[in-house]
Amino acid sequence: MTALLGNVLDRAPLGVTVRIARIDWDAMSDDEGRRLREFGLMEGCEVTPRHRGSLFSHEPLALTIGRMQVIIRGKQAAAIEIEPAA
Amino acid sequence: MTAAIPSIALVGNPNAGKSSLFNALTGARQKIANYPGVTVERKAGHASFADGRPIALIDLPGTYSLTPASPDEAVTRDVVLGRQAGEARPDALIVVVDAANLDNHLCFALELLALGLPTVIALNMLDLAERDGLTLDPARLSRELGVPVVPTVAVRKRGLTELLAAVDDAIRSHQPRDAVPAPQTDASLHQRARALASAAIVTETPVRRWTQRVDAVVLHPVAGLLILLALMFVMFQAVYAWAGPPADALEAGVGVLQSWVIDTLPENFVRDLIVEGLLAGVGAVVVFLPQILILFLFILLLEASGYMTRAAFLMDGLMAKVGLSGRGFIPLLSSFACAVPGIMATRAIPDEKDRLTTILIAPLMTCSARLPVYALIIAAFIPDRTVSGLPIGLQGLVLFGLYLSGIVGALVVAFVLRRTVAKGNAAGFMMEMPRYQMPQWRDIALGLWQRAWIFLRRAGTIIAMTTVVLWLLLSFPKASEGESQVEYSVAGRIASGLEVVVKPIGFNHDIALALIPAMAAREVAVSAMATANAIDADGDEDAMAETLGERLQGKWSLATALAFLAWFVFAPQCISTIAITRRETNGWKWPLFMVGYLFVLAYAAAGITYWTAVAFGLG
Repeated sequence: MTALLGNVLDRAPLGVTVRIARIDWDAMSDDEGRRLREFGLMEGCEVTPRHRGSLFSHEPLALTIGRMQVIIRGKQAAAIEIEPAA
Repeated sequence: MTAAIPSIALVGNPNAGKSSLFNALTGARQKIANYPGVTVERKAGHASFADGRPIALIDLPGTYSLTPASPDEAVTRDVVLGRQAGEARPDALIVVVDAANLDNHLCFALELLALGLPTVIALNMLDLAERDGLTLDPARLSRELGVPVVPTVAVRKRGLTELLAAVDDAIRSHQPRDAVPAPQTDASLHQRARALASAAIVTETPVRRWTQRVDAVVLHPVAGLLILLALMFVMFQAVYAWAGPPADALEAGVGVLQSWVIDTLPENFVRDLIVEGLLAGVGAVVVFLPQILILFLFILLLEASGYMTRAAFLMDGLMAKVGLSGRGFIPLLSSFACAVPGIMATRAIPDEKDRLTTILIAPLMTCSARLPVYALIIAAFIPDRTVSGLPIGLQGLVLFGLYLSGIVGALVVAFVLRRTVAKGNAAGFMMEMPRYQMPQWRDIALGLWQRAWIFLRRAGTIIAMTTVVLWLLLSFPKASEGESQVEYSVAGRIASGLEVVVKPIGFNHDIALALIPAMAAREVAVSAMATANAIDADGDEDAMAETLGERLQGKWSLATALAFLAWFVFAPQCISTIAITRRETNGWKWPLFMVGYLFVLAYAAAGITYWTAVAFGLG
């Protein structure tokens, strides 16, 4: 699997809506991938990173997808390539 | 249709308001048990149609799809498919969806509709959707889906009659049909759900995002942590500050009951057993009911308001450093009330090693059973004053310190375990963050009632039994005049044997005596001491009038009292916890490991505390 070349969600600025360009499903377990899709995180959808970690750590990441807020770890966020939203 | 009572399952996504709807439909007529063979909680209850015909309702664990990621989610799949052993397939489904999150919740609804069972959609929390600027068209959604859609506001009991009427109709008019295939891929399922959602939404004004405004503060990397810390601090101070008057009232009540028995019954064996054994023992534990309820009140409020997930988010970074995940925060926080539901709640943790570690450290969270022990010793030995002019009670501060020791101990243990016996991949953390909601008094009251009932049942069974057995062991053989009955009795002799082992860490005969029956449950330590002291004081009017705390003050040094507190931060003295660990880990290996490592820690902690205190001249 080729590494993701573009910008990834793990490094995206907070509060800016972005579109998911590609997800490296091989970078996570099947269960993790399925839960991401159940949250609605799929290629083509728009998400807004909202909060990142605390005093202790850069992780996890809270983001808005549609009308939901979900929390994921840096490992998944690093496997999600993003592009500017339309 | 058979004449049997129809069974109806409530099913839906997490955070769809399913439990509130279940509570609203069944009221207090609920039965909580386990599914046979698995440790997933089965919540069942009764309700009736408008004409009085009874129905059986079950509340299934919330999940996102019929492909499970955890044991609870597997139960939901197995029940709706009719594959769960000992559970008939439901006659109808109520699919609960959050009106404000249709694009996501309709995915699972579509999957469930494809099963072909009589189904009604409860369009729940419609009021919150309206608050968020959404206007929905339930009739349109119903046409698109081909099943009835009933708007409900569970917390205001709105739409319940209509919901049950729709279920009744759906069962009557149901034509057996083959399961319709749901869209095959996740992407097409989501596309269909989004199309349905946008058809159902009439208007969508810009959302008033007050949840986000609150989160900007509550999830702030620094301020958020301070708020969390402050909340925990207030919670533990409140346990002390608010419980006083009701606890005093309960204690007075037990006293009145004891005097009444003494006045009513002739002086004999049975009277002594009731007054010194049963009432002294059980009474000493029951007075802590107010504190336990206050603690549970906070936990239930934090959970119902949606704050608990924020706390998990804030703690995830710290927990990741010791190899756990924020998911573990909720079971661990529940363990502050009781490790048994805490350990059961670890089932939501998908990673096996992460889950095992969380189970093994859960007993380190200061559970409510330790409160009676802590409360007794703190009240007797720590002065009731404020800390150098600040509005902080010293007693509350010591209690906070005990809680903190347990937490720090747990983090260190987790760190070690994840590098040794529970080595594995870094745990994941994926979770939905619910909106903030006003907790509903009905749900909170019901939760409190269930907890109070469990506690009182324990006091009436395990605790009553162990105190009676202890009383018998303490009362025989009878000491001759001038000898101490407690020292002379069977229990006293066993305690003298144990005393040799615990003497180096500052424990006296009283403590050795209390530790044995306290294996059943920690709070028994208090009732055991109460019973032993009641026997010791037999006939002595002045001694009878003293409270247990006052008597201990006269007999223990401060160093011993502190060592005793330190012991209980770690000691695994709870049969229920050991039993649930055996069940949850499928064998004796892990519970034995847990008991072993905790006793070693307890001994070391008590010893270090005692020796340090003695060195400072407190012995």
